[in-house]
Amino acid sequence: MAALLGGPPTDVYFQDLILTLQKHWAAQGCVLMQPYDIEVGAGTMAPATFLRALGPEPWNVAYVQPSRRPADGRFGENPNRLFQHHQFQVVLKPSPKNVQALYLDSLRAIAIDPLAHDIRFVEDDWESPTLGAWGLGWEVWCDGEEITQFTYFQQCGGFECRPVSAELTYGLERICKYLQGVDSVYDLEWVRGVRYRELFYANEVEMSTHAFRASDASLLFSLFDAHEKECQQLLRQDLPLPAYDQALKCSHVFNLLDARGAISVTERQGFIKRVRDNARSCAEGFLRARARLGYPLLATKWTVGEQPPALEGAPASDFWKTVSFDKKAEPPRRG
Amino acid sequence: MADSLLLEIGTEELPASFVVPALEELQRALEEKLAASHLTHGAVRPLGTPRRLAILVEAVVRRSPDLRRQVLGPPVKASFAPDGSATRAAEKFAQGHGRKVADVLRVQTPKGEYLAVDVEEQGKSAEELLPGLLSQVVHGLTFRKSMRWGDVEQSFARPVQWLVAMYGTSVLPFVFADVRSGRETRGHRFLAPAPIALPHASDHAAALERSHVVADVSVRRERLHRAVREAAARAGGVLREDEALLDEVTQLVELPCPVVGSFEERHLELPAEVLVQEMRSHQRYFSVVDGSGKLLPRFVAVSNTPVRDEALSRRGYEKVLGARLTDGRFFFDQDRKTPLAARVPELARVVWQGQLGSYGEKVERLRALAGWLGREAGLERLLPTVDRAALLAKADLVTGMVGEFPELQGVMGREYALDSGEAPEVALAIAEHYLPRGPADALPTGDAGALVGLADRLDTLAGLFALRKQPTASTDPFGLRRACLGVIRLVLGRGLRLHLGRALDEALRLLLPKLPKADLAAARAELLEFFRGRLRALWTDSARPDVVEAVLSAGFDDLRGAEARVQALGALVKTPGFLPLAEAVKRAVNIVEKQGSDIQGDGVKEALLELPAERALHAEALAAEGRVSAALAAEDVRGALDAAASLRGPVAAFFETVRVMADDKAVRENRVRLLRRVARVFACLADFGRIQVDAGGEP
Repeated sequence: MAALLGGPPTDVYFQDLILTLQKHWAAQGCVLMQPYDIEVGAGTMAPATFLRALGPEPWNVAYVQPSRRPADGRFGENPNRLFQHHQFQVVLKPSPKNVQALYLDSLRAIAIDPLAHDIRFVEDDWESPTLGAWGLGWEVWCDGEEITQFTYFQQCGGFECRPVSAELTYGLERICKYLQGVDSVYDLEWVRGVRYRELFYANEVEMSTHAFRASDASLLFSLFDAHEKECQQLLRQDLPLPAYDQALKCSHVFNLLDARGAISVTERQGFIKRVRDNARSCAEGFLRARARLGYPLLATKWTVGEQPPALEGAPASDFWKTVSFDKKAEPPRRG
Repeated sequence: MADSLLLEIGTEELPASFVVPALEELQRALEEKLAASHLTHGAVRPLGTPRRLAILVEAVVRRSPDLRRQVLGPPVKASFAPDGSATRAAEKFAQGHGRKVADVLRVQTPKGEYLAVDVEEQGKSAEELLPGLLSQVVHGLTFRKSMRWGDVEQSFARPVQWLVAMYGTSVLPFVFADVRSGRETRGHRFLAPAPIALPHASDHAAALERSHVVADVSVRRERLHRAVREAAARAGGVLREDEALLDEVTQLVELPCPVVGSFEERHLELPAEVLVQEMRSHQRYFSVVDGSGKLLPRFVAVSNTPVRDEALSRRGYEKVLGARLTDGRFFFDQDRKTPLAARVPELARVVWQGQLGSYGEKVERLRALAGWLGREAGLERLLPTVDRAALLAKADLVTGMVGEFPELQGVMGREYALDSGEAPEVALAIAEHYLPRGPADALPTGDAGALVGLADRLDTLAGLFALRKQPTASTDPFGLRRACLGVIRLVLGRGLRLHLGRALDEALRLLLPKLPKADLAAARAELLEFFRGRLRALWTDSARPDVVEAVLSAGFDDLRGAEARVQALGALVKTPGFLPLAEAVKRAVNIVEKQGSDIQGDGVKEALLELPAERALHAEALAAEGRVSAALAAEDVRGALDAAASLRGPVAAFFETVRVMADDKAVRENRVRLLRRVARVFACLADFGRIQVDAGGEP
């Protein structure tokens, strides 16, 4: 294998990358979750990020998330763009003071040495209109290539994040292409002798065909309505977790319709709002449910990295002590 | 007697555009607070990198001086009851300063007699004052966008990692965002990762230099600039100078380390703007040109780290750019398979603004309005070019390249137009109709582009005002201020003939099918008010605000005329004769305004003019009217103003010898009509009532 590292060539197969990152973050005290089993466009949308970023409880997890983006499908013909790519997602809540150092250690673990490469944290504001979420942070550059999204969540589902989570999203294909020195994603070796092409090319062709040509738009429209309705009735029964699954399905169906060109520019905003409203209601339902349970994870003292004590006033998470979900009253939100 | 003060806020990587404004605010706030605490000091030196905002103040005195000052209390009137006893207010004031009412002073002020006490304030040591002062400065810093992190309540541009606060050798203790101030700074993130304890505040600069950080912004910018120029020379060319990119990259690195790279020569077939855009906006690479300014297939990337093996990161930089350029070429080749004109129908499917419809509809209005503007401006010969350019102006929005790189709109339109065999002047107008993009941007070089650009902006302004989506104090999502300023600059800068009111009417009329229910009269009035505000802001940079206001009040339908009046009037107010002229005109206007409501018209009956001064004024006014309108017709504003100003003597003589309020009603009314006539000579030039004669006139 052609390796372009400073030192001697190393075998960094796609799955080695995953294994190394998992080992690194597990050693910091992260729970290794498994990919969520509903279609999502990004690891952020999995409940292990979107919902857990809410409320006062600690949460430290790492997982691979296959991410489906129907509009990015290229029938297996583009060396960079995929219907489905893989993200390695790390969520650290509260964000540790040394989160950048922990991240840089993870790069060293996958043989990206900051003294051998130009590693830079370049400003990047992140916003997801469909999740009612935004955050600030960086795209991390390695020799000019964006290899990670690094975000401090400020708001999620319309709610303030207190404490703030750090989200690290490694673009696995990009990093691996870099490490293996190949130009096309399909030339990546997943394990010795087995390339990405053998594993995913047919998937890309079929999924792209589905997204752009073969899907039944009228069925998709009715699925959207049905999932939305189910989400809302589940929320009325105080079941935010299954409701959120339905919200995710709405989001994926919307993406399929969008790729199919079935949604006009004017309708688009309306659909995005419907998806966002679902996500917001689920966020609120989740917060209510966790409050009712007494925020059980608070008792675990589960933290990763350096967590310095509050020296100036109360910790930000104390905010939730002042929030009551008992009444019908809307919990406080901003924006 | 004095020592250095150092404050450093260590952060995670700040957004590049935040550093300089934050340093300016830091310096201003710190200087203000030091002054308020009477701590005098020497030079102030702001220092900033992506990871720190710092400030070094030399020679801060060890103690603030002892001060004696007088504190005023309540007025004497309110301090004593009629029986001479002290009121509650007086008692409280005295008590507050630990005195008896009898011991309190009385002082005369312009507002009357007040109670007062002399207060002695002991000076305090710098070490005692500074921690609180620095804490206030740091807590008070604001950013365009702030964030929170961890479980910390405070917010900042990015998480705060360390605080250095020292006076001489001592640490000034305070806390911000759960970080305690200390004496430990940090060097380069990778080359000097260990904390560095500073023995003395003034050791900061040398410690950072040793630790591979160039902390002074201008020094770092200069070093970067030199290094990038040298790198371009090594690459066999010359740096394509780019001030904005230089500013940005300065704030992306603590230690500038340029690396030369290249791209495949075949990519040079792409338009130069595309290549430069790809390199600068997406990768922050500098471009390299040959002696004649032609792009070479080379670039200079700037690393933050002097990497062990440059070839390794070079390969990375080249790979990323190569992939982007390959994508770009793909779009470019695809796009050129369709002639630009064949894309116009697609614009019907692209929404411009919800209620105002598609780009296709906008383009139809652009053609109509640009043609109308061309005829108004007497540029009939350009109409075929204008119409073709208006038709094609937005067609590049549906090309793959502009979809991928929106900032190339216009540029790609020009390239694809030329490629499709359109006339060069049409291609130029397509590119230039977006100019000026901002207040400092260049204007179109041709009138065809200017006319299409005017039509585009007027249509946008008219449509959004009719929808009542005008900008607020803090938000302007449709860039209407920029559009308005663009109209003004195009008309003035290209010297186009345009009646603003008629142009707005035409723009609104064309929108009528889209806006059957809109209140167009209200939109027109608000638009004119909006233009007035932009003109005021634009002109008060170089002219007196009262002069600008006087001219605007007299009308600005003809923007060029109004601009000339501002200049001419601005010169006139500086002349010695201006004061009596302005007073005479104001007096005439006042009389007309007071009496005028009952007395109609300005028809002066010569038979009723009794006195020589009024007959003279009448004759002079008639002559001046003629000369003013002749001068205005010849666009000679200075001459018009001079002609009007010639009435100064006759008006003064009139007021000296003629009593306007004559007993005879017919004579009285005739005199008021004469003054109205005189006032109207001036009214078309400026509203003299708004000129402050004492402010600038030199009597």
